[in-house]
Amino acid sequence: MRKMSPSLRKQQMQYLSLVLPGMIIFTFGLIVPMFLSFYYSLTSWDGMTVEKPFIGLGNYVKLFSDPYARNAWWFTIRFTLWNTIIQNVAAIFMAVALDSGIKGQKLMRTIFFVPCLISAVVVGFVWLKLYGNVLPALFKLMGLQGSLAMLLGKEETVLQGLLIANNWQWIGYWMLIYLAALQSIPSDLYEAAKVDGANAVRQFINITIPMLAPALTICIVGITTGSLKVYDLLVASTNGGPGRASTSIIYYTYSTAINGRQYGYGSALTISVVFALLLVAFLQVKVLKKREVQM
Amino acid sequence: MSRKTKEPKIREKVKFTPALWITQLVMLGASALFLAPLLIILNYSFKTKKELYVGNPLALPQSLNLTNYENAYKKLNLEVTFFNTALYTIVSVLILALLCGAAAWAIARNKGKFFQFAYLYFIIGILIPAQALFLPIYIVGYSTGLVNSRIGVILMYVATNISFGVFLMTSFMSTVPVELEEAARIDGCSIYRTYFTIVFPLLKPAMATLIIMQSFQIWNDYLMSSLYVSTNRLKTLTVAIQSLFSAQSSDYSTAFAAIVISVLPITILFVSLQKYFIKGMTVGAVKG
Repeated sequence: MRKMSPSLRKQQMQYLSLVLPGMIIFTFGLIVPMFLSFYYSLTSWDGMTVEKPFIGLGNYVKLFSDPYARNAWWFTIRFTLWNTIIQNVAAIFMAVALDSGIKGQKLMRTIFFVPCLISAVVVGFVWLKLYGNVLPALFKLMGLQGSLAMLLGKEETVLQGLLIANNWQWIGYWMLIYLAALQSIPSDLYEAAKVDGANAVRQFINITIPMLAPALTICIVGITTGSLKVYDLLVASTNGGPGRASTSIIYYTYSTAINGRQYGYGSALTISVVFALLLVAFLQVKVLKKREVQM
Repeated sequence: MSRKTKEPKIREKVKFTPALWITQLVMLGASALFLAPLLIILNYSFKTKKELYVGNPLALPQSLNLTNYENAYKKLNLEVTFFNTALYTIVSVLILALLCGAAAWAIARNKGKFFQFAYLYFIIGILIPAQALFLPIYIVGYSTGLVNSRIGVILMYVATNISFGVFLMTSFMSTVPVELEEAARIDGCSIYRTYFTIVFPLLKPAMATLIIMQSFQIWNDYLMSSLYVSTNRLKTLTVAIQSLFSAQSSDYSTAFAAIVISVLPITILFVSLQKYFIKGMTVGAVKG
């Protein structure tokens, strides 16, 4: 190591003291729990006893053969994929539409955005009542069968119902990010394209989409990590049902560990979520970032 | 990367072509659909029990009766839960502002290996959100006696939100001119004094963004607060509202009144401060 003058060393120590408090709280609040979780996942701890019987990879073997865990992952993956597709496409089109010079732009922006300020628990309950009471009554008045609207009550439609609720809540949020990105595109790019004779569609594909790449990265990662951890939305709406049709992986972890007192197995489930999230992060760096540079 | 706010593009008068007319109509329809659930909540919050089940669901209530609000107020234990939520939110966010600003500044001004590592270390918390780790975080809280204590909840919120704060503040740091700091250092200011007298005042807009973004996160949190506080005295608004939902599932006009009560403060806050909010959301999304 280079020799430092005493004053420089003192300066470094002072800088260090500005970073360390945050790092310490972060370490004990998040990093230590993550590693502990890995340790607990190798035990059959029930959360009560002092000793935590070591069982090696037993919980992971169980995880792969547990049909409920598979079911929870299957729901979570479908929920995540659909959200990523619907929210990105809808948010980009709505941002472009708002930026096209229509009237009432500011008011619409606020209307689309407000749902994301509401807690997901509340959103879940509101849509439970919309599907279960308000829409059926409305359908009946229109001469339709009321049960058509009860999306959360049937295994086949519960995912659709939750997707609608979740998209109602979040599209406006991602739309605002795209809107900000759109408004930062220099207008001379479009002028040059017009001179070259490019029509609106070509301009959208060759200028707008590439210039939105950094925003797209943020939104894809935000939506995937947000959807993978879905829990609050389910608490007041479906409770993971009907049956287990809408049990997400976090919901399943909660009921296994907290209600079922299987802390060891719950920790293994937690680690599986951490791996999924790290995979998303890895893909982000490998795929999305690389493409951004190329453009 | 400069993080200056861009002036919205000045547009020439836009001609209303047929395509624009269609866009206008579609977007009007879309905003009506987005607004409908909110209006239904508001409408239902005034309905009597009879009106809930009889007649057109979209009809306005006969009178502006406030009994649902009175019930909701009592059932939510509003004085206590509102105070708790506000306390946890305000204190955690102030601590976060203090820690994140200082850490981000040190990281931005030092190219040394340790500071670069510190930045990446904090980023782990963005990649792996706290909800995914709710179980071990709860276990650690439980075994250290931090569950069911005000300090415990606040520390938990600080730990689980610090990553985003550091990320946000570090990306704002490039807009702070180094020259001023260097001048202060030459005049003999210590690192601490430089930070608090020169840098901190310049960070105000960024701090506003951080405070608003994180208040909204913490205010709305359910999973972590439901685990961390179970005694009535310490409960948060979202936890109280969830127990009200399960108790009042059939008499949901009371539940909808409770929703209006809980959503109103955060909505008013956003609408008056949306400039800062949007800035925080779009960090990294806009190449400066």
